[in-house]
Amino acid sequence: MASRSELSAFLESVERRAFKQAVFAVRDEEAALDIVQDAMLRLSEKYGHRPAEELPLLFHRIVQNAIRDWFRRQKVRSLWTTSLSSLAPGRGEDEDQDPLETLQAADGSNREEAPAEQLERAQVLEIIEQELARLPARQREAFVMRYWEELDVAETARVMGCSEGSVKTHCSRAAHALAAALRARGITL
Amino acid sequence: MNESQFGDKIRHILNQGLSLDSRKAARLQAARELALARKRPEPVGVLASAGVWAGNMAGDFGGWTGLSLRLLVPVAMLLIGFGAIYTWQQNQRAAEVEEIDAQLLTGDLPIDAYLDRGFQNYLKTRAAEE
Repeated sequence: MASRSELSAFLESVERRAFKQAVFAVRDEEAALDIVQDAMLRLSEKYGHRPAEELPLLFHRIVQNAIRDWFRRQKVRSLWTTSLSSLAPGRGEDEDQDPLETLQAADGSNREEAPAEQLERAQVLEIIEQELARLPARQREAFVMRYWEELDVAETARVMGCSEGSVKTHCSRAAHALAAALRARGITL
Repeated sequence: MNESQFGDKIRHILNQGLSLDSRKAARLQAARELALARKRPEPVGVLASAGVWAGNMAGDFGGWTGLSLRLLVPVAMLLIGFGAIYTWQQNQRAAEVEEIDAQLLTGDLPIDAYLDRGFQNYLKTRAAEE
């Protein structure tokens, strides 16, 4: 059984990546925060008694389910508020974010770096996040879990509820699409 | 550059963007603390384990226990229903046999008469005539 401190350390280690993943998926920071909070509560209430090594897979699965639940709720809501949703603020603001804001948020260890380099790095990050958000949902899920969360193919397949072959296909397509999109925007890694 | 190397570079860059503004960081911290507060208390010793187990069996309708309960209860009710129908049918059959036996034993006609083929033919022809 995971102790309280183990659970706390685990949540602290994954919460920001989970938040970013949710933002890529739903493109709404407030909704993403709600999703991560729901996922944390569900993990703690229902699976807090499970061994610590089982927590990562469970948490990823809960986050993916919470994202799907959010889309389902949005679908139902949009049936009633289709005309109003176009007036609501949200996506546009995030996409027009000033890279300098990210620079201000960066920690102090970067201070010796030249401002031009900092700006370039922030812009590259911004573009990668935008292109990741544009990928098809299943491709993004597979790619992010394999290469950001560092799950292996079998673990990713379990979280996504599909075969290992599908995971490899999604990852490969995501990597090629992302590389092509970055190249088109003049970014070489 | 292969897929794995590309993925590693993307991870490296994405990890640099994990810093959040103070409001979001505080919100995540509050969510984490709320989640930890809702965690079930850790059991101490065998008695506590037994208590948790009993609690799971009796009252928890979520997770695997809930799933097994939701599956087991209807199956058990179905089996009990089948058992009740089978017992009722057996009782009915026994009652019918008892009835026939009682009529045979209390009737004036000797039992051997029912085994006599000639007597059966006599009953049939008589029934046909009537």
